[in-house]
Amino acid sequence: MTDYQTLSTHDFVNEWAHRLPEKLLEISNLRTYFFTEAGVVKALDGMSLEVNKGQAVGLVGESGSGKSVTAQSVLRIVPRPGRIVDGSIRFEGEELLSKSDDEMRKLRGPKMAIVFQDPTTSLNPVLTVERQLTDILMLHRDLTKEAASKKALSLLEHVGIQEPEKRLKAYPHELSGGMKQRIAIARALSCEPMLLFADEPTTNLDVTIQAQVLELLKQLQKELNMTMVMITHDMGIIADMTERVTVLYAGKVMEVADTSTLFHSPKHPYTEALLKAVPSVKQTRTLEVIPGNIPNLIEPPSGCVFHPRCKYAKDICMRQEPPLEKVEEGHFVACHLWRELKLEGRG
Amino acid sequence: MVAYPPRSYLSLYEGDAGTPPSFNHPFGVEDSGIDVFSETVDSTRNDLYVGLTATLITTLIGVAVGALAGYFKGIVSDVLLGITQVFFVIPVLLLILLFARVFSVLVFKGLGLTLIVLILAFFGWSGIAFIVRGETFKLKEMEFVQAARSLGAGSYRLLFRHIVPNILSPVIVIATLNIAGFILTEVVVSFLGFGDPNTSTWGLLLNEGFPYVRTAWWVSLFPGLAVVFCVLGFNLMGDGLSDALNPRLRE
Repeated sequence: MTDYQTLSTHDFVNEWAHRLPEKLLEISNLRTYFFTEAGVVKALDGMSLEVNKGQAVGLVGESGSGKSVTAQSVLRIVPRPGRIVDGSIRFEGEELLSKSDDEMRKLRGPKMAIVFQDPTTSLNPVLTVERQLTDILMLHRDLTKEAASKKALSLLEHVGIQEPEKRLKAYPHELSGGMKQRIAIARALSCEPMLLFADEPTTNLDVTIQAQVLELLKQLQKELNMTMVMITHDMGIIADMTERVTVLYAGKVMEVADTSTLFHSPKHPYTEALLKAVPSVKQTRTLEVIPGNIPNLIEPPSGCVFHPRCKYAKDICMRQEPPLEKVEEGHFVACHLWRELKLEGRG
Repeated sequence: MVAYPPRSYLSLYEGDAGTPPSFNHPFGVEDSGIDVFSETVDSTRNDLYVGLTATLITTLIGVAVGALAGYFKGIVSDVLLGITQVFFVIPVLLLILLFARVFSVLVFKGLGLTLIVLILAFFGWSGIAFIVRGETFKLKEMEFVQAARSLGAGSYRLLFRHIVPNILSPVIVIATLNIAGFILTEVVVSFLGFGDPNTSTWGLLLNEGFPYVRTAWWVSLFPGLAVVFCVLGFNLMGDGLSDALNPRLRE
């Protein structure tokens, strides 16, 4: 046991600096807009996120809340007509938004990677599995073709693919959905990235395969001591996979908390609504839906973006945008009414 | 038995000059004593040379221009698209005739059939470029391109290693049909007397036989049939390839 009384202030600070988790990714006030003919779509409007090294963080929200755009913004692969217009993204302390395209290109793969939602469309249909894996390895690792093939084979073994030699020569359409996603994961991990975005990696898979793929991701994350951002709309996956969660709605952060805190004592009505929309085997209550749809991001609602769908909404919610307030250490919420509301959690 | 060509293109059969098809000369003999069968077979080589070489060159140009125009935005794309459109709308045949006459008289006398090939290729790549541009446009938004980009692939790698291989099946089909098209154009050019007079092609044979079509019909009929079957053949081949390469029909 450390006797703090014998330590000088200097030692004390050092001790804490050592214990403080190292921030790998810091997004602050990020704005990514899509300049369409119908108007400017504010896909991300002042989004913030902090991810510590080795952590598994969840990003949750409905379709169109800006989860995927967050990942695309960090990798700087936002498709046209989208553009990052403001904010800061710091990775290992370095500002990504001021890097040149070429510098960014070298980070993608060895430093950060992404696993996409649908392996049927994220693998190139006319290239063999081997080509898709070796292409990346030869690009970043300067390997010969033989060495890259060898590495590709060991990657396939690593992600639990049966008969890897045979699968290496296969085209994507010859493989099952689960196998394709395993290969997409192997491809994303081929250069051992520090940060992995998993963009709804199980949404398009059968339920039985889903569990296997999640288990694989969990195991790989531990093994490689990798930082992972899990993007999903499934609160079950969040509970299972992550330590911290950020709840996104219409491109804004609604609530940030440790996963268990968020599930037990949510402070935002949207978080509560998301939790209530999860079916449960034990409970006999009716499943609640959130009325309405995600708002038009060209002209978002005034005040709090969630107010048109919020059952607790008051006057102030329509007029004023709520700031992200601190509830307790590590728990933040953007709601005017969080002090008054008694919201129901799960479990 | 006789080896190819069955009878030398240059050997003359003066005794049989002007005779209709017979056992010895299945396609008949010209007035000058040249065997029409030998001449038609000899021309096949030259016509295929025109069709295949022109297709190879136009496919390379078309894929490169179309891919770049479809992938990049802004000035590069606009300029390439503009050039493609110009080549698409100009009356190609007239210019080919003009170029063939001007160049064969003035500049490249010795180039012969190769000159015709180069002119055909110069004017014939815009169709493929348009198709490749459209496909590239569509494919560059696909998730697998995004995935390759997310792993550090640069523009040229994305374009030529990930996008272009996906366009090859329509390109192969169109290239096959183009072979027939180029052969046909060469036939027209030669028939009108703008081709290379020293190399036998089906068009040249038609051109030579045309004045005597009433009396010596066999001189133009058989080269004409050769054109028909060749073009039909390549068209059927293109059709077959399009079925074979269509992923929706593949099991």
